[in-house]
Amino acid sequence: MTEKVGPKSFPSPIGESVPRIDALPKVTGEAKFTDDIQFGADLLYGRIVRSPHPHARIKRLDVSKALALPGVKAVVTGEDCKDRFGLYLKDRYTFCKERVRYVGDPVAGVVATSENLAEEASRLVEVEYEVLEPVLDPVAGVQKDSPLLHPQLKDYTVASFIYPKHGTNISNHFKLRKGDVEKAWSECSVIVEREYRVPHVQHTPIEPHITVAKQDRSGQITLWASSQSPFAQRDLIAASLGMSPRDVRVISPFVGGGFGSKAGVSMEALAVIMAQKVPGHPVKVRLTREEEFYCAFVRQGLVAKIKVGADAHGKLVAMKTEYYWDAGAYTEYGVNITRAAGYSCTGPYDVPNVWTDSYCVYTNHPVGGPMRGFGMPEIHWGIEQTMDQLAEELGMDKLEFRLKNCLREGSITATGSAIHPIGVAECAAKAAEAIDWGEKESSSAPHKLRGKGLAIMWKAPAMPPNAGSSALIRFNEDATVSVGIGGQELGQGAHTIAAQIAAASLGVPMDWIRISGPIDTQYSPYEWQTVASRITWSMGNAIIDAAKDARRQIFDLVAQQWEETPADLDIRDGQVISYKSERSEPLENLVVYGLPKEDDSGWRGGPIIGRGSFMPDYVSALDPETGQGPRAVVHFTAGCQAVDLEVDTETGKIELLRVVSAFDVGKAINPDQVRAQMEGGVVQGASTTLLEQLRLDEGFPINASFTDYRIASTMDMPGENISIIVEVPQDDGPWGARGIGEHSMVPTAPAIANALADAAGLRILDLPLSAERVFNALREKEGMP
Amino acid sequence: MKSVRPGLPEFDYIRAETIEQVSELLKNGKPSRLLMGGTDVFVQMRDGAFSPAILVDVKHLPGMQSIQKTGNKGLRIGAAVDLNTLAGHPEVVKSFPLLAEAAQSVASYQLRSRATMGGNLCNASPAADTAPAALVLEAILVAQGSNGERRIPAHDFFTGPGQNALQDGEILTSIEIPPPPKGPVGRYLKLGRNAEGDLAIVGVAVLGYADKTSESGFRFRMALSSVAPTPIRVPTAEDILESRTIGDETISAAAQAARKTAKPIDDVRASAGYRSAMVEVHARRALHAVWTALGREA
Amino acid sequence: MATHKISLTVNGVLEQAEVPSNMVLLTLLRERLGLTGAKNGCAAGECGACTVIMDGEPVNSCLVLAVEADGSEIVTVEGLSSESGLDPLQEAMIEVSGTQCGFCTPGVLISARAFLDRTPSPSEDEIKEALRGNLCRCTGYVRIVESVKIAAKGG
Repeated sequence: MTEKVGPKSFPSPIGESVPRIDALPKVTGEAKFTDDIQFGADLLYGRIVRSPHPHARIKRLDVSKALALPGVKAVVTGEDCKDRFGLYLKDRYTFCKERVRYVGDPVAGVVATSENLAEEASRLVEVEYEVLEPVLDPVAGVQKDSPLLHPQLKDYTVASFIYPKHGTNISNHFKLRKGDVEKAWSECSVIVEREYRVPHVQHTPIEPHITVAKQDRSGQITLWASSQSPFAQRDLIAASLGMSPRDVRVISPFVGGGFGSKAGVSMEALAVIMAQKVPGHPVKVRLTREEEFYCAFVRQGLVAKIKVGADAHGKLVAMKTEYYWDAGAYTEYGVNITRAAGYSCTGPYDVPNVWTDSYCVYTNHPVGGPMRGFGMPEIHWGIEQTMDQLAEELGMDKLEFRLKNCLREGSITATGSAIHPIGVAECAAKAAEAIDWGEKESSSAPHKLRGKGLAIMWKAPAMPPNAGSSALIRFNEDATVSVGIGGQELGQGAHTIAAQIAAASLGVPMDWIRISGPIDTQYSPYEWQTVASRITWSMGNAIIDAAKDARRQIFDLVAQQWEETPADLDIRDGQVISYKSERSEPLENLVVYGLPKEDDSGWRGGPIIGRGSFMPDYVSALDPETGQGPRAVVHFTAGCQAVDLEVDTETGKIELLRVVSAFDVGKAINPDQVRAQMEGGVVQGASTTLLEQLRLDEGFPINASFTDYRIASTMDMPGENISIIVEVPQDDGPWGARGIGEHSMVPTAPAIANALADAAGLRILDLPLSAERVFNALREKEGMP
Repeated sequence: MKSVRPGLPEFDYIRAETIEQVSELLKNGKPSRLLMGGTDVFVQMRDGAFSPAILVDVKHLPGMQSIQKTGNKGLRIGAAVDLNTLAGHPEVVKSFPLLAEAAQSVASYQLRSRATMGGNLCNASPAADTAPAALVLEAILVAQGSNGERRIPAHDFFTGPGQNALQDGEILTSIEIPPPPKGPVGRYLKLGRNAEGDLAIVGVAVLGYADKTSESGFRFRMALSSVAPTPIRVPTAEDILESRTIGDETISAAAQAARKTAKPIDDVRASAGYRSAMVEVHARRALHAVWTALGREA
Repeated sequence: MATHKISLTVNGVLEQAEVPSNMVLLTLLRERLGLTGAKNGCAAGECGACTVIMDGEPVNSCLVLAVEADGSEIVTVEGLSSESGLDPLQEAMIEVSGTQCGFCTPGVLISARAFLDRTPSPSEDEIKEALRGNLCRCTGYVRIVESVKIAAKGG
C-alpha cells in the first residue's frame, strides 16, 4: 500500500531536551550495575593482598597458609602473569613480580567461596619485603641520584608518540618549541613567573570499581565490568595473556560514574588472572571504598613552573612552561596526559613564542590515570592564575586582557596549526555578563570579603590519532530500530544522545529507537573508549554513517520498486517518500521483509542493517623535538567560568555565591543534558578546588575514606549554578557538535582562585583552597605569624 | 597501612533483654562489645580496631530508647535514643535546644536515625558532637553494673581519646540532664571541612543565663570538642565571663582563654595551629550569639 | 558464628531468612532477596547509596545488621512505585534529569521520600539538609533538588 505524503510535520529531536532514555530504569531500581547481576552458586570472590610499602623488593612470598584455609580455591601471584600491559606504555604486571612500587600494589590474589573468607585468607599470605628508598616528589624524581623505579624502561613497548628517557624516572618527555622564547623576553614589558602545585585527587565515582571474570572450559574469558572501555580492556588484557581479543569478552552494564577512573585497565585484570585458576567459576572482585581511593587510578599531581610575558599593549609575547607530573608507580596511561598538557600548554591563547617541557615522572605514589579533564584542570590552575596576574601587572581588566589574547578562528596554536572556528571570546563575554562583571558587590558581613573572577579554558580529546567508533543500525519487523554502539552510558547521557542522533539521521521518530545494551564486545560494534569527551562527536558520526548506509539500502530498494532514482527519495517520520512522485511507503512494509515485485514473481530487498564507522584521518604526528605539526588534535572545546564568592576572613572558608559556565559545544544535541554536564562539572570542580586532596604521607595514603576525604554534598552547592550554551559549529561534528563532558570542571579552580584574589588581594598557588590554607594566606598577608 | 575489610568480621550477635543478662555476658570472658546504633562500632570493626567475639545489643533494654521528664524540667534520655529522635523531641527542642543543635550537626539524617547519644558519648571521641552539650548542661551519665547504679558527672566521664569512665561490666543506660538554669540560651558551633556533616575540626558549646549572684550578672558554661584528648569544659573562660562586665572585650578575653585551654593536635582534618585559631573564633562567635540572645531576652 | 531466623516485611512482602550475625541489611536485601536497588558505595554510612526506609525512617542499610531488622518494615527503591504508577519523585527525576549515572539515585529517592513524608512543603534549604547524606558525583545536585521541589509541589 502506498500513500501520499501527509501534511504531518516531523519534529527533529536534534536540539531538543528530550528526557533521558535511561531515567526510568534508574529511578525504579531496575537498572543493573555490575554488582547487581546475580551469578548463582558458582560465584567465587577474590580479595587482593597489597603492598604495605611505597617501594620494596619482595624477598619471600608464602601463600601456603592461605591456600590451606577451607573454602579457599586458589591463590595467584606475579608468577601467574605472562606479559606486561598498558595503554600507551606497557609498564605494569597485573600482580607484581619481584618489586612493589606503591602502597596498594597487588602482590597476590585469593579466591574463596565468600568475600569475607577471601579477606581472612588474604591476611594469611606471608610476604617479606626489603624496603627500598622511595621517590615521593616529581622534581626530585628527575634528579640524577634519584632511585630508579623502572630500570627496565628501555625494554617496555611504547606508542610512537611517547618518549621515555631510559635510565631515568621520566617515562615521557614532551617538548614544544615555537618561535624564539629567549629572544622574546626582551620584547616583554611585563613578565610573571610562578610555580604552582596540584595534589592528587580521586574521582570517587559513587560505584567503586568492580569486575567479575570467568574462564570457560574452551578458554574464552568473559568479564562483567563497570567500564568506560570494554574494547580497550579486551584488547589490553588479551595481549597481556598472549590471547586474541576474540577470546576475551567484556560485558559492561550501567556504570555508576567513571570520570576517567574506569577507563583503560586498572583493577579488571586482577579478576581475570584469578578466574583462570578456577575455570567455570565467575570470580567477583570489588574494591572497597577505601581501596578505591588509592588502588584504582588517581589524578596525577603536578608541579607547574610557568613564565609568561606580554608587551606594553597587553599582547602576549612569550610563554615558557615546565610540567613535572607526579604520575605514580605506573604511567601506562598517564604518559599521554603529559603529552596533552604539553600541546595544550598555552591554554586558549594566541602566543607567538612558546617553550614547553612536560615530564611524566615515576613516583612511589598511587597510579596516576585519566580524570575528567585529562591534565587540563591541572595546567589551567597555573595558566589562568598567571594570566590574571599578568593583567594585574599591566593594569588591564582581566576580561579585556583575555578577549585581547584569546584564540580566534585562524589563530596559530602552540603546535603551529590554525585553529578552527572557536567561541572562546563569546563564552568569556557571556559568562562575564551573566556575573555582572565589573560591578563590585557588597559582602554579607564585616568579616567577609567578596570578589569575582573568571577563567577560560580549552581542551581537545586526547587520544591516538586513529581512535575509531562504529555503529550498527538494525531495523526490526515493525521498523523500530535497534542501535548497536560500543560507547558507554556513564551518566553523561551518551545513550540518549545516540538515540537522538539515530532518529534524526534515519528520519524516524525518537521513540522508535532502542539502544542495544548492555555494551558487550561480543555483539556491540567497536568503540575505542568512552573518554575524552569524544563520544557525541565520534560515535555520533559513526551512527550518522550507519544511518546513511541503511538509508542507501532502503533507497536502492524503493527506487527499484518505484522505478525512480534514489536521489529523489527521503525518509521522514518513518516513511519513505519521493519528492518526485510524491509517493510514500511506511518503513515497516519493507525494512525486514522487503517488497513484492509487481508481477508476483518474487520479492526484493531483505533485512536492512546499516553499518557505520568514523575515524579521524587528519591528525598528524608532531615533531619530537619541537612539538610542531600540521594538526595535533581533532578539535578543541573551549569555555569560560565566572565566579562570585565570599571568603570568611576569620576562618578562611570560601562560599560560592554564583558560578556561571559558558561553553562552546558547537551544537547542543540535547541542551538539558549539556547544562547538566556544566552543573555537575562546577560542583566536582569546586569540590576538588576547596576540599579535596589525597593525602600521601611518605607515600602512605592517610585519608582514604569518605570520612577523611570529603567531597561536596548538597550543603556545598554554589548558591547559583548558571549554564550558558554557546554554539560555534564544528565542521566535522554531528550537526556541528563537540564534546562537553570534561570541560566544565577545567576552569573552576582558577576561576575560584581569581575571585579569591579579587576579594582578598592574595594569591594561593597550591591546591586545594582549603579553609585552613586560605586562613594562613590571609594571616600571612596581614603580616601575622 | 591499615587494611579495611570489605565486610564485618565474624561475631555472635546477642540481643539483651535485661541488665543482668548483659552483666553475665560481659563476665563470661569472651571479648565482647556493646552495640547500640552501630554507626561507629561497625565502621571500627571493618577498620580492624577491635574484633569482639560477641556483640551485645543493649538498645532494647527497658528505658533505653525513651525520653522522660524528670522533676523540675530535667530530662532522662535513654542511652540508645537515636539522634533524630533526640533532636526532634518537643522537650529537648523546648528546654535544651543546644542539645538538639549538637545532635543535628552529626553526619546525615539517615546516619542519625541509628546513631545514639549514648554511643556518641561512650565512644569518647574527642570530636563527639553531643559531648560539649553534655558538659555544659552538666549531664549525669547513669551506668548500670553488677554492683547496681553509678551516676557519673559528664565532666568525669571522658578519660582519654576513646576512653571513658565505665568499668568492666558497666553499661551506660541513660543521660540525665538536670533542670536548666532559668532563661538559658545555648549554641553549638561546629567547624568542619565542608559545609555540614563532617567530623568537627572545632566544636564549641556555650550555655549562658542571667544570674544576679555573679559579678557580671550572668553565668556562662563553655565546652569544646576536637581540640584536646577529650571534650573539655573551659573554666578559665567561664570565670572571665562571670567576673567582668560582658561586652566585646570580655567576650574576646574569654575566647582567648578558650584558645589557651585547648591542646589540639594535627590530624587529617586540620593542623593544631588552625584549630587553636578556630577555637578562639568559634568561641567568640558562640558567645556573641548567646550574649545577643540573652540581651534580647533581658 | 551464630545464625538467626528473622522475619521482616520488605516492600509489603513478608520475608523470612536465616542470617549470620555479621550480615548487614544491605547484603540481605541485595544478595538474599535479590533487591539490588540499594547500592554498596562505601560500607561506612557516608555515601547514602544504600539508604532504605526502616520502620518509617531512612537508614544506611550498610550499618544495620540483618538480625537487627528482625520484625521491621523495610521500603527500598523497588517499593516506591506501584502498579498504579511511579512515585511523584520518580516522575520528577525523569522530567528534569535528576539522575545521571544512577548509582546514587535509589538512595536519594528513598531519603527524599522519607523527607517529604515528614516535611510535605519544604524549603530549598530543608531539601539540601535532608539530602546531605546522599553523595552524588555527577549532577552537582542541582536537578536532584529541583526534582524534590517539583514532587513536593505536585504531591
